[in-house]
Amino acid sequence: MTEVGQSSIRSDGVVKTTGRALFGTDVILPGMLHARLLRSPVPAGRIVALDLSKVAEFPGVRGVLTAVDIPDRRSGLVLMDAPLFASQFVRFEGEPIAAVVAETRAVAKQALALAVLEIEEMPSVGNIEDAIAQNAPLVHPDWESFATPPGLEWPRAGNVVAETCSDPEGVDEAFAGAAAIIEDRFEAGRQYQAYMEPRMAVAEFDGQRFTIHVAHQFPYNVRDRVAAAIDVSPSDVRVIGHHIGGGFGAKLDTGLEPYAALLARHSGRPVRLVNDRSEDLLTCQCRENAVIKIRTAVSQSGELLARDVDVLMDSGASATDIPFLTSIPMHVFGSLYRIGPVRIRTRAVYTNTAPTGAFRGVSGTHLYFALERHMDHIANRLNIDRLEYRRSNLQHDGSKLPTGQVLEDAGILSEAFDAVERLAPWTELGQGPNRGVGIAACMWLTNPMPGSATLKLNSDGTLGVLTAATENGSGAIATGVRQIAAEEFGLPADKVVVTMPDTDAAAFDAGSQGSRTTHIVGRAIREAAIEVRAQILDTAANMLEAAPEDLELVNEMVRVFGSPSKQISLAEVAATAQAESGPISGTGSYTTPMPPINPTCASGLLFPAFPTPTYHVHVAEVEIDPTTGVVRVLRYLVAQEVGKAINPEAVRGQIQGGVVQGLGYALWETLQIDAGQYSQRTLEAYGLPLATDTPEVEIVLLEHPDPAGPYGAKGVAEPPIIPVAAAIGNAVEHAIGKSVNAIPITAECVLEALNGS
Amino acid sequence: MHTEFVLNTREIKVEAPSTETLLTTLRERLQLTGTKEACVEGECGACTVLVNGRPVDSCIYATAAVDGLAVTTVEGLGGLDGSITPLQQSFVDHFAIQCGFCTPGLLLTLSALLDANPNPDRKEIENAISGNLCRCTGYTQIVEAVEAVSQEERS
Repeated sequence: MTEVGQSSIRSDGVVKTTGRALFGTDVILPGMLHARLLRSPVPAGRIVALDLSKVAEFPGVRGVLTAVDIPDRRSGLVLMDAPLFASQFVRFEGEPIAAVVAETRAVAKQALALAVLEIEEMPSVGNIEDAIAQNAPLVHPDWESFATPPGLEWPRAGNVVAETCSDPEGVDEAFAGAAAIIEDRFEAGRQYQAYMEPRMAVAEFDGQRFTIHVAHQFPYNVRDRVAAAIDVSPSDVRVIGHHIGGGFGAKLDTGLEPYAALLARHSGRPVRLVNDRSEDLLTCQCRENAVIKIRTAVSQSGELLARDVDVLMDSGASATDIPFLTSIPMHVFGSLYRIGPVRIRTRAVYTNTAPTGAFRGVSGTHLYFALERHMDHIANRLNIDRLEYRRSNLQHDGSKLPTGQVLEDAGILSEAFDAVERLAPWTELGQGPNRGVGIAACMWLTNPMPGSATLKLNSDGTLGVLTAATENGSGAIATGVRQIAAEEFGLPADKVVVTMPDTDAAAFDAGSQGSRTTHIVGRAIREAAIEVRAQILDTAANMLEAAPEDLELVNEMVRVFGSPSKQISLAEVAATAQAESGPISGTGSYTTPMPPINPTCASGLLFPAFPTPTYHVHVAEVEIDPTTGVVRVLRYLVAQEVGKAINPEAVRGQIQGGVVQGLGYALWETLQIDAGQYSQRTLEAYGLPLATDTPEVEIVLLEHPDPAGPYGAKGVAEPPIIPVAAAIGNAVEHAIGKSVNAIPITAECVLEALNGS
Repeated sequence: MHTEFVLNTREIKVEAPSTETLLTTLRERLQLTGTKEACVEGECGACTVLVNGRPVDSCIYATAAVDGLAVTTVEGLGGLDGSITPLQQSFVDHFAIQCGFCTPGLLLTLSALLDANPNPDRKEIENAISGNLCRCTGYTQIVEAVEAVSQEERS
């Protein structure tokens, strides 16, 4: 192979170094106006007065919208519970109440300062425990009226927006007969995606249709969600994607797009709406905070007999995609290690806080934190080495998850444990005062959702790839998909041009989520290539007077096997076909078939299986400063299974970047919620990892090609963030000899643990 | 308020309110959008430009303060013919770019570093960019891109 497996440089590399790459926030249209939202300053309350007459009269203002100006409807990803504008009640700090559009950003801001808004504050549901307390106020007293999509129903009641339960036989019996029962409670804070480019939208309305310019991971979802929110047909909305300044899951659902669209229709001019950093942080669909209780029954010999897990997730003031995430524990708590029956109850609850949502490795970060911290506690209780205990209980090929899904290749786990051991022997790490070592594994899916690609061979011999998939920074489009397409036709990667997304042009793609783009779109390209290749060979066979089956594609040429002098360039083939039989093009689509599961394994809304699973082991070595509590990461090792690394340096970048986001989650990034309000309100207060904080991750790639994946590729980008908090927590506990069961494990937390308070 | 300065070798005159930031002047008045607006609190470094060769956060720097001075933005790093500097090329070659939103600011911070210290060690590079946040890369490949340039100059 000439392209696949090479570290080909990114197609967007140069334009991103010259400032010429057009990001969403760089879009400037003729006559463009600027919008701003009036947002609730309090987490819960009743709107007593709202008077925007002074705002509307302010010089330069071109329009004002509130709930009374639009149809009274709610929308959402899976539950129709979110209004565009609060009308009678506000349910979280930052909830939009009104929108203003003006000639400049400054005018919009000055004008909004003249709004008369009076809110009578009400008791707020500030955290998870408040939400499920007896007699807790209801975040949505009208929760029963919220519609769900046809055919989707799940248990919900009051502040519990979704509940998933699995209660197999034999759990209580196993606990009754156990030699020991180990019990833990873990807590995880919210994590802000903290992409560098704030969320944005620029919308136009031409009298019939909307065009929305975005920097978004999932343009088709913007199209559908905007259409539903403002009550037009999806094809009345065209979404054009530009370079994305980071997303990490926060740019999968709609945000500002419906407001920009409404204001564009209202004002008759293009409208730009961009969050300032503080409103972005306060209203982002952060990774959900969670409380996880876990009990495991073990036998005298350390066998894992049964487990009982209770997970509470904070959905914030609306459901977003959280009801689906309540099924993720089903895929986590019976994975990795052989175990008897596992009872799992997961509830997502409404609170008067900003809605939470998707962040790289959804829920997996806190669920594996709980699972792998708990495994350390079990090993410690049994007085068995933590690594040894894991290794002696590892799942092997053909083991089953609580869902009934069979993990055909779970034996890769053992190989991953071997690989980190070769990087640095376990017994040599974490030695010496104030030092510790931790290990954690994970199994994770490659998102199966559908995608497509259309290929066209241009008459200059270059290949065009048309897809609605997005390049969110990972390199999946800028390298991976491009290299796969190049490999198919014997082209260098720089002869392949992939379009930016446009929902008017390309067929559906499910967006950059769940490490899916290279796997799914790469496979769609291979499907399309069958047809395109046949057209190339047919045309070339005529030109070369050879049989199509005797031809091969090498170095931008079509040539006859065994007689390299008989050849013709792809450009000539394309030009000839274009003139004589029509342009060469073809389309392919792909979605991963779901592995079979037992559909009665649980009640609730199920994301049914973890298709194309991958297996990973992380090791962290840390040193604690006992006077300040600061945790320094000395070494960080990763063994990651990737199927096939299409671009090894790009894969390395995903692992390094994912681990550092995981370190931020584990140690520094803090969103404390006090009575429904975040204590941290700026990037500075939030505490992102800096260059001076981060170790160079030592990496081993394991390659077990997936027969269904393009050249064997599986998902890569999500797993590196998932086991980090667990590995770090285990290392910190090893270093200080005290439990640290809440993340982030800040320096203050370490000091508190050390001082025994 | 009248301000004259040299922007990427071109002389510029602007009439802007005295409170206008350099970032607003660049992005909105001059429509030079290579300089990025990310936090507007002087925390992330995405808006870094050079004023007389020194990196500043243009989001908290008044345009009036550059009167008579020279401002370099990312658009001014390479040649007018589209050529790019060895540092820019090294960013491309070493996968120092993912989403690329922090890249312009990093390039300016690092250009100033390399002007002052052509052979920085790893620690010096990390310290130099500790005011530039990158959420994607975890920084290692950025540091390697700088090392490769300084090693090239050494050899």
